[in-house]
Amino acid sequence: MPSQSKPAPPVRPFAIDPDGLTFRRVSEKLMTLRFIERGLTGLLLVAIVAVPLVLRLIGVWSGYPSWLAWALPAAVLAIVLWVLALVPRQVRAIGYAERNDDLLIRHGIMFHRVMVVPYGRMQYVDVTMGPLERMLGLSSLHLHTASPGTNAILFGLPAAEASRLREQLSARGEAKLAGL
Amino acid sequence: MSGQFPGGTFQTDSPDSWHRVHPVSPLVRGWVAVAAVLFIFGRNALDSLFTGGPNGPGISGGAPPVVIVAVVGAAVVVFGIGFFLSWRFTRYQVTDAHVHINSGIIFRQQRRASIDRVQSIDVVQPLVARAFGLAELKFDVADGGKSAFKLSFLKLDEAKRLRAAILARAAGVAVDPEAPGQVTEAPEQHVLALGPGRIIGSAVFSSLSVVAVVVLAGAVALAAWSGEVGVFVGFIPIFIGLGASYWKAITGDFNFRVALSPDGVRLHYGMLETRAQTIPPGRVQAVGISQGPIWRPFGWYRVHVNVAGYGDDRSDHGNRTVLLPAGTLNEVMAVLALVFPDPGVDSPFEVFTAGLRGPGNRQGFVHSPRAARWIDPLAWRYNAYRATSTALLCRHGVIFRRLEVVPHERTQSLSLRQGPIMAALGLVDFELHSTSGPIKPVVHHMALDAGRRLFDEQADRAATARRIHSSEHWLAPAAPDTHRDPQENNHAD
Repeated sequence: MPSQSKPAPPVRPFAIDPDGLTFRRVSEKLMTLRFIERGLTGLLLVAIVAVPLVLRLIGVWSGYPSWLAWALPAAVLAIVLWVLALVPRQVRAIGYAERNDDLLIRHGIMFHRVMVVPYGRMQYVDVTMGPLERMLGLSSLHLHTASPGTNAILFGLPAAEASRLREQLSARGEAKLAGL
Repeated sequence: MSGQFPGGTFQTDSPDSWHRVHPVSPLVRGWVAVAAVLFIFGRNALDSLFTGGPNGPGISGGAPPVVIVAVVGAAVVVFGIGFFLSWRFTRYQVTDAHVHINSGIIFRQQRRASIDRVQSIDVVQPLVARAFGLAELKFDVADGGKSAFKLSFLKLDEAKRLRAAILARAAGVAVDPEAPGQVTEAPEQHVLALGPGRIIGSAVFSSLSVVAVVVLAGAVALAAWSGEVGVFVGFIPIFIGLGASYWKAITGDFNFRVALSPDGVRLHYGMLETRAQTIPPGRVQAVGISQGPIWRPFGWYRVHVNVAGYGDDRSDHGNRTVLLPAGTLNEVMAVLALVFPDPGVDSPFEVFTAGLRGPGNRQGFVHSPRAARWIDPLAWRYNAYRATSTALLCRHGVIFRRLEVVPHERTQSLSLRQGPIMAALGLVDFELHSTSGPIKPVVHHMALDAGRRLFDEQADRAATARRIHSSEHWLAPAAPDTHRDPQENNHAD
């Protein structure tokens, strides 16, 4: 069943990855999506903190200290650029693997997390698609169990893969469903 | 209270037979409003009688009695119609598979709960309802405590009969072909009771008292510093609040009794509002046993449970997740034996004692490696775990000690986490996800290898345990349930 997509490029292993598993990666287009989303948010932030600088430059607020006027937007810009620079590594760190009894999801580059959700514990599966995601042909998949601690979301799945996974998970979940 | 009572049988309903709750119910629910209205108008009436009396009628100083009588009469009529309609429009029905409750006058609500999804049943008697011999039947489905199904109010016997019927259906008891639909209330077996001394003691030696002492010390210090006794007046509201908290803690848990019935663990408690709570077997998702520093000399522990229907349950009645408000080690073990009949070890007492006391690796517990002392200087030898064949035990803390027990078949999902510092020290956090409730099981700062091994093993164990415990009907003969205690099997026969 996992034949219709090309073999995933290697994922940099975590120390906490279970042995003998190859994680599949999500679409690289997720990077584009994140660049757009975070870039726009960052732009907005920079614009807001740059307001005093503009006011100062056009002479309305000359009392504002010039080092602060320059340093604040510069710092925010640096943070935004850093966040953007992390995006490719973050996206490449997202992985998922289907085993016989459960689904594994991993993510994070500094704070690693590997989660396993048994099929029999899944209550329902959400597949969502925002406007930007639709343009890029991506979907997000959210697994719900009876626990609020199960925070299993897979962003950036190709739409076809997301619906395949949803069907697959529902089928396996029904086969193994075991109450609470 | 317990045992058989006359007419203890119950016939389930056909789709078109409906019942109504007791006619007094709206009054029991709305008595506060009625009392407030009566109080206000009654006082006005008395005032005007006394002020108006000597001066003769018609003099200003109060409304004329006619108006008062009219207003009171109107209030009675309005309340009466409202109560009548609310009673008239509330109907319920218990069929073999579902409970239906229809209610609402203008906004109609029709609710249906699958009986085999019922997680727990309470019979609640608020003070006023007790005066009328009525009780509220309340049951939870697995939605994290968002909405409970309530039938308020029924006659106490009727509520108990319904409870027995719903639990028997939920348990999947085979219906007797001779008398279909007849269910007898199962007798309770007393397990333990907490005396008033224990309940009061547990409230007095609690964090509440720490707050009280701190506040008192603050007040005294402030008074001494400013030289004015009047400072205490400012603290009065705080002391009233503290007093109310003590009152709530003591009356809420008063008369705490634990009993076992074939339908599950039954808890009775409350001084003014009494509550009988039933947790069917297998509905307990996780257990947490905790002890603060003040309780250590007394050797008391508090036991909490996660039950899917309770949720965090801070709003309604904070005590519902408490399985034992303050118990000695022996009492804790007795209660644990009810919710986990099979601890999966040969010497459960020793293992659980090691789990509650620590430190070190005794009784198969594995604590954090030495590297963890950099981030956990005090607790690293206390933070430990042990997997038995049926459950995972997680031990935490030096000052506030906690033991969390999660049966393998109740694990929802697992995760491993590692941040940069933990990666440098070769440590990992292991989380188990249980249903929402006070217990969030986690093993902190395990050695990396141990964590990875536990992650794999636990995923496996959870899967196997799930295959064995596949049935929601805990007494259904078809389910190959191997380890339940014999009484339940008697009931199923």
